[in-house]
Amino acid sequence: MYHSFLIHSSADGHLGCFHVLAIINNLGNLAFSLFVLLCFLHVQYWPLFVLFFYILSPIPYCIARRLVDDTDAMSNACKELAIFLTTGIVVSAFGLPIVFARAHLIEWGACALVLTGNTVIFATILGFFLVFGSNDDFSWQQW
Amino acid sequence: MAGFLDNFRWPECECIDWSERRNAVASVVAGILFFTGWWIMIDAAVVYPKPEQLNHAFHTCGVFSTLAFFMINAVSNAQVRGDSYESGCLGRTGARVWLFIGFMLMFGSLIASMWILFGAYVTQRSLKYHRLISIRFWNTFIFHFSVVELGFRSGGTAQTWSF
Repeated sequence: MYHSFLIHSSADGHLGCFHVLAIINNLGNLAFSLFVLLCFLHVQYWPLFVLFFYILSPIPYCIARRLVDDTDAMSNACKELAIFLTTGIVVSAFGLPIVFARAHLIEWGACALVLTGNTVIFATILGFFLVFGSNDDFSWQQW
Repeated sequence: MAGFLDNFRWPECECIDWSERRNAVASVVAGILFFTGWWIMIDAAVVYPKPEQLNHAFHTCGVFSTLAFFMINAVSNAQVRGDSYESGCLGRTGARVWLFIGFMLMFGSLIASMWILFGAYVTQRSLKYHRLISIRFWNTFIFHFSVVELGFRSGGTAQTWSF
């Protein structure tokens, strides 16, 4: 299955669309497996609360993009509010494990693993939006 | 002697054009500062749970800072100057009064947090709570930075109306 992706990309001479998606998918899987491994190794399920922030993080930006169009000045305020909230969700996803570690609910090693997983997952989500999010109509032509 | 810095210019940096992205960057920085402030406060409440270590009434500084932050950011520059097409529900004077109250709440909570810092912790000479001292102060200080950031951003938004 993968060689068809490679053929697609080498014909163009640059990274094809499927190739990028495969990379992103692999990164996301790596981060998530790191996360699950963490929970099983340390037998603490507190870090699973960070999943809540992972799910929430793309939502403000998606809502802002669907709701407003680019020509209005008010759309800038809406997009900036969305960026503000997204940044807040990302900061909270980093802050929650630190607060858990300081409250001695999880160990500092577990906290470090969660922070690493956070970094990878948010980089994955950001990469997804940078590559696939730039067109507004969300058409399926790119796929 | 007077004006010896008149000819000082920042070194030229042509690498990145920030003018298009200024609003987004300011939003990101404001978001980081604001939420870091809240998480510092949550951390302080978690590590020092007893009321004699951290009196729970001290959280009101943060709450009022947050309220004032949203009040100030609800009003755009154009509303205050009276430039926009519709006058909004309060009009130009109402927008100015709203902004005034917002700034009063903001600076009041900043002064209150400094009062708490010096009155409750520094003068008591309780060395155990040194970390708490820095926490209390940095929290509200951070809120104010985030307001400054968003004020910078709203200045940028107003420029889009110059035809």
